Amino acid sequence: MKKVGIELEGLQKRFGAQEVLRGVSLEIPAGEVTVIIGRSGTGKSVLLKHVMGLMRPDAGIIRVSGQDITRLGDADLRRERFRFGMVFQNAALFDSMNVYDNVAFPLREHSKLSEPQICLRVEAMLASVGLKDAGKKQANELSGGMRKRVGVARAMVRGPEFLLYDEPTTGLDPIMTAQIDALIRDTQDANPGLTSLVISHDMAATFRIADKIAMLHEGRVILEGTAETFRETDDPRVRQFVEGRLEGPIQ
Amino acid sequence: MNAVSRLGARIISVVEGVGRYVGFLLRSLRGGLLPPYRVRILFKQMHFVGVESLLIVMVTGIFTGMVFAVQANIGFSRFGAESLIGAIVTLSLTRELAPVLTALMVNGRVGSAMAAELGTMRVTEQIDALDSMAVDAHQYLAAPRILAATLMVPALTMVFNVVGVIGCWYVAVKQLSVTPGAFQARIEWWVDPDDLLGGMIKSAVFGLILSSVGCYKGFTTSGGAEGVGRATTTAVVISGVLILTSDYFMTLILAPLSVG
Ligand SMILES: Nc1ncnc2c1ncn2[C@@H]1O[C@H](COP(=O)(O)OP(=O)(O)OP(=O)(O)O)[C@@H](O)[C@H]1O
Ligand SMILES: [Mg+2]
Repeated sequence: MKKVGIELEGLQKRFGAQEVLRGVSLEIPAGEVTVIIGRSGTGKSVLLKHVMGLMRPDAGIIRVSGQDITRLGDADLRRERFRFGMVFQNAALFDSMNVYDNVAFPLREHSKLSEPQICLRVEAMLASVGLKDAGKKQANELSGGMRKRVGVARAMVRGPEFLLYDEPTTGLDPIMTAQIDALIRDTQDANPGLTSLVISHDMAATFRIADKIAMLHEGRVILEGTAETFRETDDPRVRQFVEGRLEGPIQ
Repeated sequence: MNAVSRLGARIISVVEGVGRYVGFLLRSLRGGLLPPYRVRILFKQMHFVGVESLLIVMVTGIFTGMVFAVQANIGFSRFGAESLIGAIVTLSLTRELAPVLTALMVNGRVGSAMAAELGTMRVTEQIDALDSMAVDAHQYLAAPRILAATLMVPALTMVFNVVGVIGCWYVAVKQLSVTPGAFQARIEWWVDPDDLLGGMIKSAVFGLILSSVGCYKGFTTSGGAEGVGRATTTAVVISGVLILTSDYFMTLILAPLSVG
């Protein structure tokens, strides 16, 4: 049996009258890449924020390595977050800082590394996302794709146990997309203890990097399994999404 | 009935808001007391609140001192007591005008900027990003700002006092016919250090108010650019009202201090 990294059970969340999550249950195996797919606005980002404890669910349980984080107080929750790195959908870079300082930030906050050691680590991280010479640029001077990549570098730099990516490649050019996908896969393969959770729209990339896929639709997980499961399913909603067709049960 | 229940709901939401604000303030203050100490950010904020407000505080201070000298002269010249102009203006400045006017000027500049900056960080998820990196946003963002304003508003008030008295001196001595000796003697006779102290205490509280309300409004911003605009305006208005109302109550509390 595989070890469970993160376990969601009956997760519910509403904003006013809008029910976004209506009982999401999902196991995210440790040491693998799990990709969540689903239409825009189905609550994928909301789901990811719950996993990090940035939002509290109305009902349901989130277990990280067996511990329910929905019951933790602020201090314990903060300790729990040491283990996470997150790439936000819109990067959420600190725009009062330059690229280098953004990526160095988690290290300066939470590691005892000296500044030269931090420098080595940050430079290496920036190089791996193809931003070798952009360290001095101010965060608000970057293109959308560059922001994304800085976000990836910042999330990875501390080498966390869990990496959450909210659409890490949306808006990147095809070559860059392939490079980031490879980075996600390589980081996973290089760290057997790592658990990656990726949100994506890109079916080709999903099939390339995922060990496990789950599709979120109308607040529930309607299918989970391997790439095979998704290629072979007859669920018309999944077929329509995977094949990107206009007509079908999802309107 | 409907109107009553709507009023009730409104009152409840205001009380809830106050409760959340107090919770925010306590969390931020506690964050400021615990390590790691954000000294670099504190200095940066002190520079922003203090040094960058110097010019507007000096301009308002000097003209306030001057206009009060002119006004006081209208009254005092009727019974030949012009030499008291300096004393009365200094008293009003140290006890009331300098703390309140400095706080209102700084509120317009700093309170609004804090709400706008933190509000933008909220809607662009930068505050979530801090949380996600296990950094306490109250400690990292709010605490240094609140501390900086609580320290720097009294300092600016002191500057206001000094330039205000200089403005008054200019009008009284150079334009009216008060002798420099009498101007100074009356101030020394009438104005106590306690008057100054009361004003300093007030201005520290004003600094706390304008920065914590600004930060709170920023932290609780929602709804994009429009939300940031709304947060900024409400922060300035709420702080302004709180400064003036708390001023009255603090004056009552501090009054015994300087009567004896
Ligand atoms: N803080 C919030 N307050 C109110 N409603 C929210 C909030 N966050 C998200 N929502 C709503 O929840 C729904 C799901 O949003 P979410 O951002 O999770 O979508 P998504 O699946 O990530 O979409 P996309 O693929 O476009 O990023 C949306 O309808 C959104 O309006
Ligand atoms: Mg999203």
